[in-house]
Amino acid sequence: MRGVRFMTLLGVEFRKIKRSRLLLLFFAASVILWIPSVLNAELNFTMQAEGISPENSFFIQGFMGMAWFMYPAGMVVGTVLISQTERTNRGMLKMLSLPVGRAWLCLAKFVVLVVLSAAQVLMMTGMYYISAAAAGRLQGYSFLLPPLFVAGEAGLLFCASLPMLAVFWMLSVAVRTPIFSVGLGLASIVPSVFAINTKVWFAYPMCYPFFVITAEYGKLAENLDTAQVDLVPWIPVAVVITGVCLLVACLCFGQGERRE
Amino acid sequence: MNVEYMKIKRSGFVPLALGSGILAAAFPVLNMAVRPERYLNLPGSPVEILMQANWSLMAMLNVLLVVAGACLLYHIEYADNGMQKMESLPVREGSLFFGKNILMALMVLAAFVIEAASLWFCAWHWFGTGAGVRMEFRGQMVLGELGKSMGYSFLVTLPCVAVSLLLSQVCRKMWVSLGIGVICVFTATMLPTDRFLPSLFPYAMPFQVLPGTEPEQAARYLWAAAVEAALAGAAAFIMIRVRRWFA
Repeated sequence: MRGVRFMTLLGVEFRKIKRSRLLLLFFAASVILWIPSVLNAELNFTMQAEGISPENSFFIQGFMGMAWFMYPAGMVVGTVLISQTERTNRGMLKMLSLPVGRAWLCLAKFVVLVVLSAAQVLMMTGMYYISAAAAGRLQGYSFLLPPLFVAGEAGLLFCASLPMLAVFWMLSVAVRTPIFSVGLGLASIVPSVFAINTKVWFAYPMCYPFFVITAEYGKLAENLDTAQVDLVPWIPVAVVITGVCLLVACLCFGQGERRE
Repeated sequence: MNVEYMKIKRSGFVPLALGSGILAAAFPVLNMAVRPERYLNLPGSPVEILMQANWSLMAMLNVLLVVAGACLLYHIEYADNGMQKMESLPVREGSLFFGKNILMALMVLAAFVIEAASLWFCAWHWFGTGAGVRMEFRGQMVLGELGKSMGYSFLVTLPCVAVSLLLSQVCRKMWVSLGIGVICVFTATMLPTDRFLPSLFPYAMPFQVLPGTEPEQAARYLWAAAVEAALAGAAAFIMIRVRRWFA
């Protein structure tokens, strides 16, 4: 029974953002991401010093560019979209007056965010294949990698970003002033460059996507040492962070509207 | 202008600007505290070293502040149809845009002052009286150089302010302007900073630093900044007219 209702809720939430054109935005981002890679594809041949093959270099450079800024920032925009569609014309009050659990509503919206992030990763991967083919045509060298490998990396990026999404979602629910949630989200992305170089990187969810991709880079490049993923402190910490964030989000969800 | 300030009083823009200024200011201090040996032996003046090492991240925070702030400044107008009320007042809409520009510039200036103070502290603490002094520390000179450098960076940030406000004026939905702004920042990070034409992109300009730039080149950047800001202003006025026609 619950399950059915949850699916209906999800359908409603998706319908709300159907015309948002956010996907167009993600598409533009992935095009902008890969254009310089295609134009500068010949640089990948000079990366032999690090012991990385040109096709791997082409792939991982693009993914690193994405994981460092555009992917988290795109998700911040996604949270703004999801929360703002409800704020106009007091849509939230109407939703809260329905016989639906607040926590379920909150979780449904979070699932929408997760699906949006999956869409962004998928678009980026699809665009990778197009641009790799284009670069291959330009350079006369095949940049294409086996789909299974690429799908694995994309899946890794997606899974590693779930705690980050939970944090962003908690920020956008708990911080009612839109500017603060946006500002905090965007500002939290910038220090991730520092965070991945510290020993306690696993305490900072915003750097997870960037960290795992950098770790992959280290694996692909033989002569380059990057910090590798230690599953033991990371996974438990990540699970706890995600759980706490979702719990706080569910508890705070709709509280402001109730008080008004 | 006064009205604009009253509007943002409770929106959290001022704390945001100060917070982002403080966060950006913390970067050089942390950077120097964690690995001073990496920077102390570099050639060049303290200000040059500090700017080269830290400015890209600090500029990134500044640009993000501008993007988020621009979204907010117009979001408070569009959210509850405040724009229509403003339009019915005997105020020119152009002056609204202008007022918001000045306000934003002042906020960015506040953030810059905080950042400059932190850079000065770094120069004083690590390159000045601290151990391992490589050159005699002349406070007056450092202050002058720092002021010039930050002033230059502030001026090249202004086109970014104008263009962001133009974007948020055009897009009624907050997340659209935010999304476009984020994409522009992302593009700016992908562009090479050492070539002249790509670095004229308004969102890439704030990443420019004065130390290490030749005077003629710097003057060219300043002219370009002025032209871009003026173009953004003109585009905003045209947009207002166009909206009137189709309203």
